[in-house]
Amino acid sequence: MSLGHHHAWQPPGHLRPSDDFNDTRSVNGFSKSASGSRTPQMRASAGAEGPQPGNLISEADMAVEEDPRIALFRDMYRQTEAKINALFSGTLTSDEPSEPAVAESHDPDSKSGRAPEPPSHPDPPKKPARKLDDDYDDYDDDDDDDEDADAGDATESPLKPKTSQEPSGLPSPSHRPSTAASTGPDGSKDVKKESLEDIRKKLEEDKKATEEAAKRSFHTLFYTLENDRDAMLDQQRLEESERQVEAEMSGQANAGNNNSNNSSNGYGSLSSANLGASSLTLKNLIARIDMKRNMVQASDAELRSLMSEVRKNRSKWASEDKIGQEELYEAAEKVLSELKAMTEHSTAFLTRVNKRDAPDYYTIIKHPMDLGTMTKKLKALQYKSKQEFVDDLNLIWANCFKYNTNPEHFLRKHALYMRKETEKLVPLIPEIVIRDRAEVEAEERRLQLAELDGAEESDDEPIMSSRGRKAPGKSTKKGTAPAKKTPGGSEGPPGAQSSQPPAPTRADSDVPMEGIQNGFSTPPPGTQTPSDPAGVSSAARGSHDDSMESDNLMSSNPVLSALSAPGVELEDPEYKVWKQVTKKDRALIAAERHRLFKGDKLNFDEPALLRTKAGMRRWIRNQKLAAAEGDKTESNTREPDAAGETLAEGIEEEEDRVIPDYYDVMSGVPDLPERLAWREDLEGNVVDASEEFLRILPKGSFTQTDSKLSRKMDANMRQMQETRKVCSKIGIVKQMQLQSQMYQNQFQKYQPEPFFEQDVPPHVMNDEGPVVAPWVCKAALQRSVAKIFFHAGFEEYQPSALDAVTDIASDFFHKIGETLKSYMETPKVPATDSQEVASSASQWKRAYTEPEVVLHTLSSVGTDVESLELYIKDDVERLGTKLAGAHDRLKSLLTELLRPALADGGEDGSKAFADGSEQFIGGDFAEDIDEDFFGFKEMGLDKEFGLTSLSVPLHLLQNRMYNAAQSQNTSATQARTLFPPPVPYSRISPEKVPPQIGLLKGFLEEKLRNNNDEPLVEDLELPPKQRPPRPRLPASGKIQGPPPAGPNSSPQKRPLPPSSSSQNLNKLGSTEPSKKKVKKNSGVAMGLPGAEGDESTVNGLKAANMKGLDGAADEVPLVAEMKSADADGVTVAEESVRGSESIDQGRPSDAGLTNGVAGEHGDI
Amino acid sequence: MGDSRSPKYRQEIQQMMFVSGETAEPSIETTSLIEEIVRQQVIEILTRSTALATRRGVRSISPDDLIFLIRHDKAKVSRLKTFLSWKDVRKNVKDSDEKGGGDAADFAGADDPIAGGVVAGPQDVTSKSKTKRARIGLVWDVNSFYSVQVPEREDEEDEEEEEQNYATLQRLAAADERTKNMTKEEYVFWSECRQASFTYRKGRRFREWAGFGVVTESKPNDDIVDILGFLTFEIVQTLTEEALKVKEREDREKRRRGGAENGTGENTKKRKRETGLFDPPEEGRTPVEPKHIHEAYRKLQATPNKSVAMLLHNGRIPHRTPLRLI
Repeated sequence: MSLGHHHAWQPPGHLRPSDDFNDTRSVNGFSKSASGSRTPQMRASAGAEGPQPGNLISEADMAVEEDPRIALFRDMYRQTEAKINALFSGTLTSDEPSEPAVAESHDPDSKSGRAPEPPSHPDPPKKPARKLDDDYDDYDDDDDDDEDADAGDATESPLKPKTSQEPSGLPSPSHRPSTAASTGPDGSKDVKKESLEDIRKKLEEDKKATEEAAKRSFHTLFYTLENDRDAMLDQQRLEESERQVEAEMSGQANAGNNNSNNSSNGYGSLSSANLGASSLTLKNLIARIDMKRNMVQASDAELRSLMSEVRKNRSKWASEDKIGQEELYEAAEKVLSELKAMTEHSTAFLTRVNKRDAPDYYTIIKHPMDLGTMTKKLKALQYKSKQEFVDDLNLIWANCFKYNTNPEHFLRKHALYMRKETEKLVPLIPEIVIRDRAEVEAEERRLQLAELDGAEESDDEPIMSSRGRKAPGKSTKKGTAPAKKTPGGSEGPPGAQSSQPPAPTRADSDVPMEGIQNGFSTPPPGTQTPSDPAGVSSAARGSHDDSMESDNLMSSNPVLSALSAPGVELEDPEYKVWKQVTKKDRALIAAERHRLFKGDKLNFDEPALLRTKAGMRRWIRNQKLAAAEGDKTESNTREPDAAGETLAEGIEEEEDRVIPDYYDVMSGVPDLPERLAWREDLEGNVVDASEEFLRILPKGSFTQTDSKLSRKMDANMRQMQETRKVCSKIGIVKQMQLQSQMYQNQFQKYQPEPFFEQDVPPHVMNDEGPVVAPWVCKAALQRSVAKIFFHAGFEEYQPSALDAVTDIASDFFHKIGETLKSYMETPKVPATDSQEVASSASQWKRAYTEPEVVLHTLSSVGTDVESLELYIKDDVERLGTKLAGAHDRLKSLLTELLRPALADGGEDGSKAFADGSEQFIGGDFAEDIDEDFFGFKEMGLDKEFGLTSLSVPLHLLQNRMYNAAQSQNTSATQARTLFPPPVPYSRISPEKVPPQIGLLKGFLEEKLRNNNDEPLVEDLELPPKQRPPRPRLPASGKIQGPPPAGPNSSPQKRPLPPSSSSQNLNKLGSTEPSKKKVKKNSGVAMGLPGAEGDESTVNGLKAANMKGLDGAADEVPLVAEMKSADADGVTVAEESVRGSESIDQGRPSDAGLTNGVAGEHGDI
Repeated sequence: MGDSRSPKYRQEIQQMMFVSGETAEPSIETTSLIEEIVRQQVIEILTRSTALATRRGVRSISPDDLIFLIRHDKAKVSRLKTFLSWKDVRKNVKDSDEKGGGDAADFAGADDPIAGGVVAGPQDVTSKSKTKRARIGLVWDVNSFYSVQVPEREDEEDEEEEEQNYATLQRLAAADERTKNMTKEEYVFWSECRQASFTYRKGRRFREWAGFGVVTESKPNDDIVDILGFLTFEIVQTLTEEALKVKEREDREKRRRGGAENGTGENTKKRKRETGLFDPPEEGRTPVEPKHIHEAYRKLQATPNKSVAMLLHNGRIPHRTPLRLI
């Protein structure tokens, strides 16, 4: 099964020749597996299974240094053991005592890292408990253990599966020991083996150390890629030779396969017989099962298939008939490939010497030999013992020395080197002479029967092996890694690989790598194809024999690799190690690259490069390792990681390489910010890291910052608004003075709100740094610009204007920013200050200090600190005072306008009558007009000025009345204070005529006569409607003579003035009672003289007076004229008219009038 | 526009230069040069202010347009305002002299007690014009912010006036410095020179000279001409002062170099000190030459950074920088 899977996963390049292929497939069946002994794949599986209980010391060593996964395996192991116990519990109830013992013994072992178990060491406590039955149990246990453990491994890490599949099952230290101890039948050899083993162990330790160092250096050193090409070429040569060998061998391989088939068949029959175990290894197991057949709850078929699975994963060398063959050949093959892999020196010896190259070679050399030929012989199973193999090897070197007699010849050096290597490696090959199985079995039986203890020992061994296998699994992975890469095919271009003959390549290439990699306890690179658990498990069940053999072989590998490293001393040792360790991988990678860029061009036909999860995981793991490097507790720290990740990796196909990460361009993972990692807390909830990097934009990012300047500007703007409010009130009052009628909603209330800068709504940011939101920024700038506009006195602006200025402003600030930047980025200049010498670090200083930068920038944009200061002083502060002044003035103006109501109204408004305006006599205005007719309350004027009554003094309503009232008020007060008003003249009656002057007598008498001797009534005393129209001065300026006497008694001397004026007069008279008073005054004053001749003057005066009242005459000229115009009424009238037209100033009118009257009187 | 070749204001310019500190008699080339410069400036002013007026939709330029052109020179603006307000006062007084004189006489004769109240009117007018000149408001002043005209208040002293006072004091101090050593006759002459003007009682000549009718309407407001007269004086003065500075620097350089040629630097220093102490500054001075005027003009025309600030960093260079008003 596992083989089948193996094939499925292997790239085409890995497929063996058809025969092998068939064979391997057949291996899935039990019978085949037995026969498969010779196929390389079988070999591989055997290697993987290799674990025989061996010396646990080595395991212990490994455990300490090895992969954390071991711990995991151990756990798995325990679990499986428990399971098995459960399975057999029914069966074995009678055996109970032994069962627990076994379980226990296992457990402690696993827990203690197997350290306590010595290689030879059957556990003392166990021994007594174990009898023959124990054997059985142990066997069962072991097998099952293996299976389960493997299954567990398979699911958890690809590594394990691979190991089991790989033909080159790698010797891991732990295996070694086990093999040594267990080399099953050869119990007698134990001693010898142990010594060997010690050597191997030591070598391996060395090896491991060097490789560890090399691996560590991956993180600290960067090796250039220049050697990759050489490595690739070497590798290609090696492969080439192996291909040849393979081609030649294929025929023989077929034959071998057939043989193996036979053997497997034999086993099948055996299983069917159920007792005739031809397999020595399974013999005890089968016997045991038979014995307890009734307790085993499985049918024969099931048992058979179980057996077949167990038997499956055997090395290709495994043979039922030949005892020892597997071990020997495994070891030999490894040595061979190790030697071949030393491409620097081995190249010349890979193939037969060509006659063309050395025509006389075969005359000198009678027995030519080369590594290729040896490989062929090996595959043809032509070596019967170690000695034969070693002889052939030595023959090669000897031939070389013989032929190349020149001591300086370069080949001699190579040969020398190779011989040295050979000497180092040879001891690793077990001293085995292949014997026939029949013979061995016989011997075995003999032993068994003779000695129970011996059986026990053998029992133990399997146990150990099962355990050992796990550990080796890991180490083997590494070794296999390279092999897999060759295939690279699984991911890479099949074409390239297909050209390579798989079997040999794999086997051979693996060997060197294994050697190298075995040393690594670190998590392994090497797993490659995940085989499904079933396959694995079956593989794991491979026969013990196989595993033992493979173990033996493997054990030699470390030594090889360990030796190889020190072998090359000339270069920097570290570099050397690097080269050796990674050579294979580098070669492969270089080859892949080479394919991708065929002919210096991109090769479109190549499959795309894809990154894999596994690769990335590995990469991350390595990064972590690198980070953890330096910690002594490396293994500790690694354990959890590895455990956690193997799980995930198990799902994926993974391929490990002993190569720094930077070779693995496809799997690189960029550094991710810690906060983006997917983290879970203990309960498995996702930890939300968002709080750590999400932030809310602080408030005020888009509003004006608070500063003295901004506060002042705000205050200024507020002041402007207040002032505008006052202005609007003034405007309303003025409007009311002009308009006769008003509407409630005529005046819009002007109530500006203070400015408030709105901030952006809460905003969540994902990162540090400023907000990049051009539109918001622009809007903010626009608002600032608008503020400055307003501050400069604009109340409203067109959006386009605002936009334009905003653009200019942003442009300008852009310039400032750029200038600032260029100043700040000026290259540093050497510090010249001697003071700075003290600190050596500050040998360079900035070209400009910060203030300098600012000043330079300001200057280059045409401004400076002074002008900025001036702006603040003039355009902000002084503006503030100016605004305050304007506000005060306007406010006082408004107060002025409203003063009468305020000053004269008194508390209860009673004093409002004191100003002489007669309107108040008429009653309460608030009744006639509506309450709050003008909306004073609405405007807040009442509160502002403390108005007690909302009734409006009429003089506020109309300018004219106001003026009139003012003038009367003034005159009244003046008259009162200065001159008591003259006694009113009495009416002219007949009695009063005589004292008058003669001129007047006639006139008056006539008047009286017309009036029936009643006292004459003055015009002014008439009701307004009966009064004569106001005399007007005609355009000619001459006062006309008295008109013919009309029915009207009133003395009318002139024609009626134009209708307009009369209308006006009428209107005045009717609407404005205040006139009456004025008329009365003047009438009284003028009526007295009563002289006919003065009629005109009087009339003129009257006219002037009326005019003056009407338009608020300018008295100054009037008075002046009157003074000088006693005789000339025309002038008076004229002047008065002019005066009335001129200025709107009512105050002194009465005074002037009085004055004029007085003057007249005086004259009279 | 008259014949530009024949200088029309040589005497005035000479006087102005004298007032500005040039004691020696400048050559006719110098004055002609200055005259040309002034004319160019005047034409520029007129052109721009006409453009401004046109933008307002008015054909004739107003004082505001002129003042707007020099608005950034606050001292000058405030002096101009003072000048205008006094001019206003003068005019008012003249008017009231003509018209109100009789009144005052009449009133003076009238000892009627009632007259007291009445007389207040005319008296107010005169006293107002004497103590308080009408303040010239500018369109861009605070008072124009509001829809209602802000009433004047007498008690408030404008801060700007203080500033203007400061500038005036500086000028007076400079004038004082110049006239310190003058004899009575010289001072009289100097005072006469101060009255030199391009426009005063030469309205017609000025109009022709400045190209009224071509550049702008031919019948300028009286105020406009007066303001131009004021500005031209300022121009000449600024030019002369700048030219004097140039010349002084040149002289110093010359002396230094001469000293260096003669002997050591120490010698030069000594001599320099000597000049400071003993050289009668006024005498033996050579007049300002056209080259000095050229240099001064060049300096005054230098484009300030402010006007090219927007051209920084890839801004386009304008074809021609506008003439700068001095």
